[in-house]
Amino acid sequence: MRWLWIDKFVEFVPGQRAVATKNVSLAEEHLHDLYPDFPIVPHSLVIEGFAQTAGILVGQTRQFAEKVILAKISRATFHRLARPGDTLSFHAEIRQVSEQGATCGGMVQVGDQPLADIELMFSHVDQNMAGVRFPAHNFVFDGAMLQLVQSRCSVDIPLTPTKPA
Amino acid sequence: MSRDEIYAKVRIVLMDALSVDEQDVTPQATLREDLGAESIDFLDIVFRLEKEFGIKIPRGELFPENLVNDPQYVQAGRVTPAGLAELKKRMPHSDFSLLEGDPQVNNVQSLFTVDAIVNYIAGKVA
Amino acid sequence: MKFNLLDHIECLEPQRLVGVKQVTLAEEYLGDHFPSFPVLPGVLMLEALVQAAGWLMHHRRGFACSMAVLKEARNVKYGQFVPPGSRLRLEVQWLADTAGGASFKGVGTVGDAQAVTGRLELAYFNLADHDAALAPADQRLLEHTRRRWALIAPAQVSPSL
Repeated sequence: MRWLWIDKFVEFVPGQRAVATKNVSLAEEHLHDLYPDFPIVPHSLVIEGFAQTAGILVGQTRQFAEKVILAKISRATFHRLARPGDTLSFHAEIRQVSEQGATCGGMVQVGDQPLADIELMFSHVDQNMAGVRFPAHNFVFDGAMLQLVQSRCSVDIPLTPTKPA
Repeated sequence: MSRDEIYAKVRIVLMDALSVDEQDVTPQATLREDLGAESIDFLDIVFRLEKEFGIKIPRGELFPENLVNDPQYVQAGRVTPAGLAELKKRMPHSDFSLLEGDPQVNNVQSLFTVDAIVNYIAGKVA
Repeated sequence: MKFNLLDHIECLEPQRLVGVKQVTLAEEYLGDHFPSFPVLPGVLMLEALVQAAGWLMHHRRGFACSMAVLKEARNVKYGQFVPPGSRLRLEVQWLADTAGGASFKGVGTVGDAQAVTGRLELAYFNLADHDAALAPADQRLLEHTRRRWALIAPAQVSPSL
């Protein structure tokens, strides 16, 4: 299993909002483990797709120099199930961002139906996690992740920082 | 805005940020010990207060950081006189009676109460 | 990778379940999270709590329903990175029954350090509640769930050779 829960960005307004999509396919092995007769997208992975969309949006505001780590899920509410053959779209907005971290919120759709409403927070760990050990280099946005993001976007994601509106 | 109005808004902010009930949010309640706040929650509270009151809270002004890591201010688990002076300078909105009576580093968290937040906001929106 | 996020249940009570998730470099997703600093993703800590709550739900309701799905997560906070080699202890406590399921409080710890805390509400239902034609699928899912339960339920015998 790869740990990439979005396929591409279809909208990217630096410092403000982004929309990414993900196709759900029976080819994904993990879908067959919990409910083999009725495969559904686990809701924790819906949260991750949203977090990856929002995390890249936040990371871009500081030129991907900060280690943007999911620190808090304030609320994630689910309205229905997503299944193989569906396409998910993750609509994320930056609510607030500072040098210490960010709050993001928005929703996930399955087709044109609401799947989830999510509010979560990222921490810029270099600024915030005194006493916890982690590497000095940016392990979050290393070359491979950025390459994947850039190579599969239908929109450009600028690498120069943009201040939020 | 009256102090009561400020307190009512601060209470809602803390209930939302910390998922606690209204009766838990008393003036003397400490953020860490009584209300279960952790580091990310302090940032969440700052963001929500900025939005609720339309103010900007410079980093470290409401919740000073790196207080207990500085050997000038904390030695052998106790806050030094220099530490107490620095804390008072940085947190004029807090009540120091517990910490002054027993300057153990564990009592630093007694400075971070609901009342301290209300005092800080009152100073900003006056 | 198998999406089983609980390896063993250590303690099972009417209102509380304690289980364990071992983190190992053999788990493929760690290659992406992160390539130079493998750690258990936060949402998989949440998934482990969801699955633990699901098992407690099944225990309380006698495997009455085939589907135990996260309806809402609130105030989930992460405190520590959990690297391979760690043993994540997960404790869930039933709080109350709800209209379609139940709510729980969950905590994940590694040693004394808290890795994750949060509140969950699960929806507990049968597919046949929504479409009577799916009743056979519910039966097959319950058989599958009971086989998974047998792998992790308390008091497993480890035969010596």
